Amino acid sequence: MPDSTTNSIIADPQNTSIDRLRLDGISKRFSGHVALNQVDLHVKPGEVHGLVGENGAGKSTLLNILSGVLSADSGNITIDGKVLNIKSPLQARTNGIAMIHQELQHVPELSVAQNMFLGRSITHMGGVLVNRKQQERVALEVLATLDPDINPSAPIRTLKVAQRQLIEIARALMEDAKVIAMDEPTSSLTPAEFQQLARLIEDLAGRGVSIIYVSHKMNEIFEVCTRATVLRDGQNIAVATLAETNAAGITASMVGRDLVEATHISHATKDPILEVTNLRRGKHVKDASFTLHRGEVLGIAGLVGAGRTELLRLIAGIDRPDAGTVHMHGKQVASNDPRAAISAGMGLLPEERKRDGIIRDRPVTSNVALPSFRLFSTLGLIRRKQIAATSLEILRDMDLRPLNIAKPIGTFSGGNQQKVIIGRWLAASADIMLFDEPTRGIDVGAKAEIYSLVEKLAAAGKAIIVVSSEMSELIRLADRVLVMSEGSITGELQGEKINEGAMLELAIASA
Amino acid sequence: MNNATNATQTAKAGFKLPFGMRDFGTFIGLVIIFAVFSWLSPVFFTGPNLINILQQSSINACIALGMTLVIVSGGIDLSVGPIAALSAVVAASLMVAGVPIPLAVMAALGAGALCGLFNGALIAYAGLQPFIVTLGGLSLYRALSLIYTGGNPVYGIPPEFRAFTNGDTLGLPTPVVIVAVIALICWTVLNKTPLGEYFMAVGGNQEAARIAGVPVARTKISAFVFSGVLAAVAALILVGRLGAADPTLGNLWELDAIAAAAIGGASLMGGKGSIVGTVMGAVILGSLRNGLTLMNVQAFYQLLATGIIIIAAMLIDSATRKSG
Repeated sequence: MPDSTTNSIIADPQNTSIDRLRLDGISKRFSGHVALNQVDLHVKPGEVHGLVGENGAGKSTLLNILSGVLSADSGNITIDGKVLNIKSPLQARTNGIAMIHQELQHVPELSVAQNMFLGRSITHMGGVLVNRKQQERVALEVLATLDPDINPSAPIRTLKVAQRQLIEIARALMEDAKVIAMDEPTSSLTPAEFQQLARLIEDLAGRGVSIIYVSHKMNEIFEVCTRATVLRDGQNIAVATLAETNAAGITASMVGRDLVEATHISHATKDPILEVTNLRRGKHVKDASFTLHRGEVLGIAGLVGAGRTELLRLIAGIDRPDAGTVHMHGKQVASNDPRAAISAGMGLLPEERKRDGIIRDRPVTSNVALPSFRLFSTLGLIRRKQIAATSLEILRDMDLRPLNIAKPIGTFSGGNQQKVIIGRWLAASADIMLFDEPTRGIDVGAKAEIYSLVEKLAAAGKAIIVVSSEMSELIRLADRVLVMSEGSITGELQGEKINEGAMLELAIASA
Repeated sequence: MNNATNATQTAKAGFKLPFGMRDFGTFIGLVIIFAVFSWLSPVFFTGPNLINILQQSSINACIALGMTLVIVSGGIDLSVGPIAALSAVVAASLMVAGVPIPLAVMAALGAGALCGLFNGALIAYAGLQPFIVTLGGLSLYRALSLIYTGGNPVYGIPPEFRAFTNGDTLGLPTPVVIVAVIALICWTVLNKTPLGEYFMAVGGNQEAARIAGVPVARTKISAFVFSGVLAAVAALILVGRLGAADPTLGNLWELDAIAAAAIGGASLMGGKGSIVGTVMGAVILGSLRNGLTLMNVQAFYQLLATGIIIIAAMLIDSATRKSG
């Protein structure tokens, strides 16, 4: 194992005329389908370079090729002028390419230091025993510059997501990474944590490390990156210098058309359909009470950990409340019984789609019909044709791509999986829909589709709750916004009063 | 996306193979084994021997069908052998005591169902691991049948019952017909009923299934009750054939059943499995033993061949899944 020297990291950071990393003419096909077609990506030393595009544009494939998970059919990867032949993730890492994955892969019970040295332990006693003390010393040294609060001997499960990300970055630094690719690094970070990450990225860039930053969030791209490469349908569309363009310009080149900023139209009535009274669970949800009306879109804002997801789960009967009641259509619904909530007309779109939403290996039709198989049965036998017809009708309307309802849901992109789960509740004729972070991890185009879908549902008289960490999303969608902080509803905003400043103020208020 | 591709995709959605790709793979395996033994032994591919294979496979197939439903729903049932033994001694001692045969049969099926209910309830309501619960059941049900009989086989099964299970129905041995009917029932349950969808949903992603309103506890219990009842059916077939109920019968049945289900495409991670595949898996194991016996291969080597076949099947399965 070579000694860590910081020299190689800052090798000639001033000479920006030479690209640190060059991907030239990268092409990749998967069984006849072109994922990447002659794609280029050039990153200078110390540059933070955005990589943007809709889901399916080829970003992940490109990152997988860069990090050695996949190999390209053609094209070159060069670092500092040296052509690399990357055949495995290990080779990518030894050549100075580090990947920070969206879903961090750690062993939760092992310590911070053990995770950092996983697969390349520092040993003593002739290489037989792991030298934990030495590992922890080195880890402490590297972490000191990133976050001195992290204890290298603590189990990694005790760390927050933002800190776990730092562990990955620290690991990359230990390996003398020249290029760090970050795939959607902020998908589980709070705005404050993003600011910390942005400062760290700036610092790394100052030390000459090149960063590839993949994100759907335009404000982040504009805040941290200097240039961005736009991919669409596996092709290079543009390399934009961000100081010379704006979010609308980038978005337009991503989707290939202008997205019209729609204005909010309210379909809210005065007809109460859901009444939540003094719902309480531990420190997560404290005496929540509110009423939802037919045709209304109610937003719930708040910081990560404010208890928004927990509140939705109580309403949907997934967790047991300590106290409080839920009435739907004027009738009390049994608590902690998802089936009772569903048969009263409730549908939940969970935040963690993979964990709580989809049955990955089952076809779209089975995922759609899951809560309503009994309704789709005669004498105990499922009417498959009717399920197929209903699914096709609903999902064609939502523009499921590809519109192949016999395929396992796991093969679809996140946005399309989301459409299937929404379709599930339409097929079940739910009239109250709880959407928990409906556009998380979904690209711009699919986002706009989900927004217009929410509006269509409201217009059709459904009552909808939207929990979101993106304030622009709530401003766009909600007739009324409840703000939560530390488990309590700290305020309610309506109409004109729904804006970022007001929401933020209530979100950090203590009740 | 243009209209032409949309149209073909819509057409695809309406079209469904009656026979999955994985089942096709199992079928190829079966054909290869048949071809090899037909070539090695002139007796193998003859009508009487094929019927013989089906009859020899019927008990394992019966157990494996229940096992498939349990595995698909994310569980495992190690207690099927002892459940069979308990059901066998219950049926046999009632018959010997002069209780009408249909009642004794019902009692055996009831005993199997109760054992399955007990397994399932501990797993669904006490939240215990299926492996551990049925490992406990393995000892528990064996002990009950040994205690009940004092460790001695129950002899004196009425000739009418023996004649029924050893007789023919529609030109085939009755046990084969019984298991075929059971396979048809299991296939219908798994592919045509809400319960079958629930088995696959709970095995595929239990939490998502619960949130979507699937009755998770009832689904799990149902799978174990199926397994218990089918163990009892297998026991009745064996009691009829042997004319006695030995409290030690059914030793290691669970392993043959798991092997048949796995060869047939059931994933021990849950959520996947095929009734047609399991039946073929049981016939593969049955014909392997039959063929090797015809060739006078020693029992030790038969065991060796069984192990090789199971591992080879899983290797092929994993290789094809990755490329597909």
